[in-house]
Amino acid sequence: MVFILFGMFGISVVLVIPTISEAQLEKKTFVTHTGGVISTTGEVIDPLYVASTMEFDPMKFLREFNYGKVSQLSDGSTLREFTIIAEDDKIMEISPGVFYNVWTFNGTVPGPTIRATEGDLVKINFINNGSKEHTMHFHGIHPAEMDGVFESVGSGGGRFTYEFEAGPVGVHPYHCHIMPLEEHIVHGLYGVFIVDPKEKRSPADEMVMVLNGFDTDFDTENNFYAANTIPFYYQHHPIQIQTNQKIRVYVVNMVEFDPINNLHLHGNLYHYYPTGTDTVPSFYTDMVTLSQTERGIMEFEYLYPGKYLFHAHKVEFSEKGWIGIFLVKDGDHQDSQNGVDYGT
Amino acid sequence: MVTTKILKMGWIMELDNPSKGKIIASGIIPFIFLIILVAYIFGPGSDLLNLGVPLPEIIIEKIDFLESEIQVTVRNTGPIPVEVVMADVNDRIQPAAIEPDRFLERYETALVRIPFEWNEAEPYIIGLTVEDGTRFERQVEAAAPALRPNLEFVGLFALIGTYVGIIPVMIGLLWLPFIRKISKQKNHFFFALTVGLLLFLGIDSIEEAFEVVDDHLSGSFNGVLLIATTIVLSFLGLYYASEKLTGKADSLRISKPVAIGLMIAIGIGLHNFGEGLAIGAAVGLGSIAFSTFLIVGFALHNTTEGFAIAAPMSRGKTMIGKLLGLGMIAGTPAIFGAWVGGFAFSPFSSVIFLSIGAGAIFQVIVIVLKWIRDEGDKNLSSASVVSGLAIGMLVMYLTSILV
Repeated sequence: MVFILFGMFGISVVLVIPTISEAQLEKKTFVTHTGGVISTTGEVIDPLYVASTMEFDPMKFLREFNYGKVSQLSDGSTLREFTIIAEDDKIMEISPGVFYNVWTFNGTVPGPTIRATEGDLVKINFINNGSKEHTMHFHGIHPAEMDGVFESVGSGGGRFTYEFEAGPVGVHPYHCHIMPLEEHIVHGLYGVFIVDPKEKRSPADEMVMVLNGFDTDFDTENNFYAANTIPFYYQHHPIQIQTNQKIRVYVVNMVEFDPINNLHLHGNLYHYYPTGTDTVPSFYTDMVTLSQTERGIMEFEYLYPGKYLFHAHKVEFSEKGWIGIFLVKDGDHQDSQNGVDYGT
Repeated sequence: MVTTKILKMGWIMELDNPSKGKIIASGIIPFIFLIILVAYIFGPGSDLLNLGVPLPEIIIEKIDFLESEIQVTVRNTGPIPVEVVMADVNDRIQPAAIEPDRFLERYETALVRIPFEWNEAEPYIIGLTVEDGTRFERQVEAAAPALRPNLEFVGLFALIGTYVGIIPVMIGLLWLPFIRKISKQKNHFFFALTVGLLLFLGIDSIEEAFEVVDDHLSGSFNGVLLIATTIVLSFLGLYYASEKLTGKADSLRISKPVAIGLMIAIGIGLHNFGEGLAIGAAVGLGSIAFSTFLIVGFALHNTTEGFAIAAPMSRGKTMIGKLLGLGMIAGTPAIFGAWVGGFAFSPFSSVIFLSIGAGAIFQVIVIVLKWIRDEGDKNLSSASVVSGLAIGMLVMYLTSILV
């Protein structure tokens, strides 16, 4: 029995000694997404460093507008045809190293940005290739049977054609409206629908930002937030713009669970058009608060070149990914000539 | 089911034909079938068991607060390998390093190092996210600098161990002359009192082991059964050894009272090791502030342990040297426990030590009870024995409130 005691002393020595002697392994140094420096013999786990197989490109999505297949109707009005396919079996890397089952319109979260001019006839051939029922519900003005609520589209290839006149002018969300609604939205079945005024907005460098989040552990709290799906993306890949260039951002808040979201711009203020329905801005500010599906248009120009943050001033969201940078370069043009011409 | 059937067959064969080769064969055949069964399940039959979804599970075993850094020890306790891909502090994503790498096989551990300017005494929740987006967290009530085994802390823990272990036990031993001078009847009272004290200590050890299991050990270790198994094994091992020891007491040139005293001292020593672990770990994990009051409580509580050793020793010749030796055996493990607990806390080994201690104590109880029974005309229900036991428990309970 005395041996047990001695054994005990032995074990305590064995356990304590290794913690005293420091292992001498080769250390590598990394700069992390917060700017902090890590020195380690292992590997870094940071949304920046973990090897990524990301297929969704937020930079491409940012300035991508889908105008549909355009044709003229006999009465002279324009018909825009779109094909939207819903799926719900895709596993996507939504943040480096984190895989989540996204439900998608045309394979991405958010779905394609659908764009039309006020008065155009919009025709959407909707195909549901998912394993559950899905629909497309547009915010805007349309007949009841085009509302995508009571006309559920069956799984495995079900079809429905949504037809309505584009309106009113503004920026609107579209999303699936099958119950349980929250589940269908948070998995990713949403996108942006822009209705341009007939008399066109001024030329500008235009972009879309869908503010969204992901609840990857299903505890009805978001684990990640982002502008356009991938956390911290625009922080590592700043959005390049130019001085004295009008920037127009179509912002749509699709965050669920949290009652509000917001957008704060550094080193500048923006003219804000709530819902984009008016051509006269309502505010000149650097901070708007957005509730669920609340949206609007922001217009601004930078005078000075450099790096400017934009992020949720609900800092929890920004520390979970909803943060980005505008990299402003000296523009060599006189006025807004580089504006993307839209409405084709 | 199948294997039991085969086992029975083997047994029958053995009865029918007692030739040696067949006996060996019949003993091996069940194993062969067992191997075939396992091979089938892992091989061609693996599809049959693809039911349900295996979920990842990791446990944060330990959180250390270093200068400008939080270190997190994580273990994969689930049924599948996992990949730790993200760390957060208070639910805010933080860049971190993971050593040796982010891939954890079953039961493998890794160290996550999060650069972070933490504030002392503030609560923190550390979270880790695995590749399917599931987040696991652990809370620290108050951040305190992690202990590094430098000379200062080694000395401090030695001092604490001396205060709560050695000194109280030695003081308790001073009751020896008193016990020696009283009648046999009253003597039995004090033996029974010792049993009461020990019984309380044994239950106390088990309770502490349960606490460690609840707070730090993953379900996959079957913590409760680990405790039960260890206690029984410790009890049986020590029981067997002690029978040998007391049986050979004469040939080993030690008297029976000394042998029993030694057994009690070892049992209490193991318990004090566990107590030291608890104190060291609590200081190390920052879960308690170590107060003078706590040390006084432990000291008062442990004085009774010295008494437990003194009681049987009162029956032999007084040998100061042996008495001091037993006191050291019982007391010093508190120091070692504090070192291990403070500098190299491991929930698994803590549970093991606490359970061994409990088993040792129960073994001592059996020995002492047997002794009282042999001496007291095969009677364990005399007033002195019953009251001694009851008062022993009560005294321990009352002094435990101080801790």
